Amino acid sequence: MERGYWIRSKPVYTALLWNDKATAHAVLAAGDGGLAVLKLFQQALPEQPITVFYSPAGADKDYLPALQAAVDADLRVFATTAELLAAWADYLATARMGLRIYTAGTEKFMWDVTDAAADFGILNQDVMKELTGSLARSVYCVHCKSLTHEVTSNIATCSGCGRQLFVRDHFSRRMGAYMGLMVDAENPGEVPQIEEIYP
Amino acid sequence: MSQLQVKVASIQDVSAGVRHFTLVDAHGGELPAFSGGSHIVVTMPAPGRTYRNAYSLLSSPEDRAHYEIAVHRQPQSRGGSIYMHEEVKVGSVLDISYPVNLFALSRVAKHHLLIAGGIGITPFMAQIHDLERLGGDYSLHYGFRSREHAAFADALKGRVSQRAVCYDESLGQRMDFDALLRAQPLGTHVYACGPQGMVEALVSTARALGWPEHHIHSEQFLAPPVGEPFTLKLSKSELEITVQGDMSMLEALEAAGVDAPSLCRGGACGRCELEVLGTDGELQHHDHYLSDADKASGRKIMPCVSRAKCGYLELNL
Ligand code: FES
Repeated sequence: MERGYWIRSKPVYTALLWNDKATAHAVLAAGDGGLAVLKLFQQALPEQPITVFYSPAGADKDYLPALQAAVDADLRVFATTAELLAAWADYLATARMGLRIYTAGTEKFMWDVTDAAADFGILNQDVMKELTGSLARSVYCVHCKSLTHEVTSNIATCSGCGRQLFVRDHFSRRMGAYMGLMVDAENPGEVPQIEEIYP
Repeated sequence: MSQLQVKVASIQDVSAGVRHFTLVDAHGGELPAFSGGSHIVVTMPAPGRTYRNAYSLLSSPEDRAHYEIAVHRQPQSRGGSIYMHEEVKVGSVLDISYPVNLFALSRVAKHHLLIAGGIGITPFMAQIHDLERLGGDYSLHYGFRSREHAAFADALKGRVSQRAVCYDESLGQRMDFDALLRAQPLGTHVYACGPQGMVEALVSTARALGWPEHHIHSEQFLAPPVGEPFTLKLSKSELEITVQGDMSMLEALEAAGVDAPSLCRGGACGRCELEVLGTDGELQHHDHYLSDADKASGRKIMPCVSRAKCGYLELNL
């Protein structure tokens, strides 16, 4: 992690909040994102129809019973995030303007949701996001272009070329991943101490 | 403002009070390219004072030989549209600005919903050319007072009838903004041009239905309202200029030879903003550009449409 200066491309996540100027609401969560959905449903509910897409995949806890009890809306449950995303794409194809989109889960999941919406002309800024569970990052190697997922340390081994990558705060929205740069490019073999900083 | 010289090639009356002008380059050359939604500012050297009004280009952006504009004779016009109707003839030479687009089509929209009221149809005429050429998905909803006010309705019928819906108010036909906006597919951008009341109703309905701000586009050319005369004090150039009741501050500055920037001349673009240093009265804001907080602060003013009820107004200019 780089400190001392601010990097614009690092995305900002908030807590989910209903936006009551809408015609409909879609909430998409995976894994520990279930907790964010539970918190969302403790707020006063908007009047418009709500559809919740949830996949328990990757959750530390079983949020499903609590969600089924709390979510007084159309709750659709999927075994995998891939199935959830396929259903999301179908939903978008028939959705109308005024749909508000909320998503919670890992960074990778939220950017998959946002990318699917972008195909329908929705900007990233109009998708509300709450990062839950692990801060683990996806890292793309600027040298071999492969993606390495679930990175929790400042330095990671590239899944593609095996280089030691320094994980920067520079985030590519297109890839939903942080930039990884070879750590010992200048002085081969000089690798700083590896720390777990994205638990 | 860089200027072009054009000659009026033909004039046609297209509906009650609307006159259509075809302009060509005065020196026989090609005119600058533009994109649908652009406007030009026409300079009208009436005796005693100069008017400058913005008009949307309605011709095909692919046609570099002609520009076309339509001028609605405003009953309470301070003179600009009357000048165009009465003084400008075939063969007249006019100074116009280069085209500027403050009402451009979105490049990322999945569908374009075009809402026109009355003479507000003009920017859409050019945009439709662009959309047809690029294969853009769109629909046009055009409302007018009655058949005789329906400028270009027949041209639209011939060209794009399956995409255009007309509403004749004299037959009780009205657009239902709420229903129309709710029915739009995701990724739609809406564009509104027409009378102030219509544009404001459309914009506020879209917001209430949760349309993101950047999906809502609107254009109105506000005419500067008439008021009482007052004096401008310019602190830097140490000039004092009188703003007549039927003149805007911008026009008064221009008439005095002061270099004051402007683009839309309708209180929308923000280009003409000036800093207020003081006044012995109150500012009368008429623009759509400044935030309410800016308006309340009394520090900023848009001289193209706003004025003051005062003895003097001091500007940092
Ligand atoms: S010229 Fe555009 S706001 Fe005044």
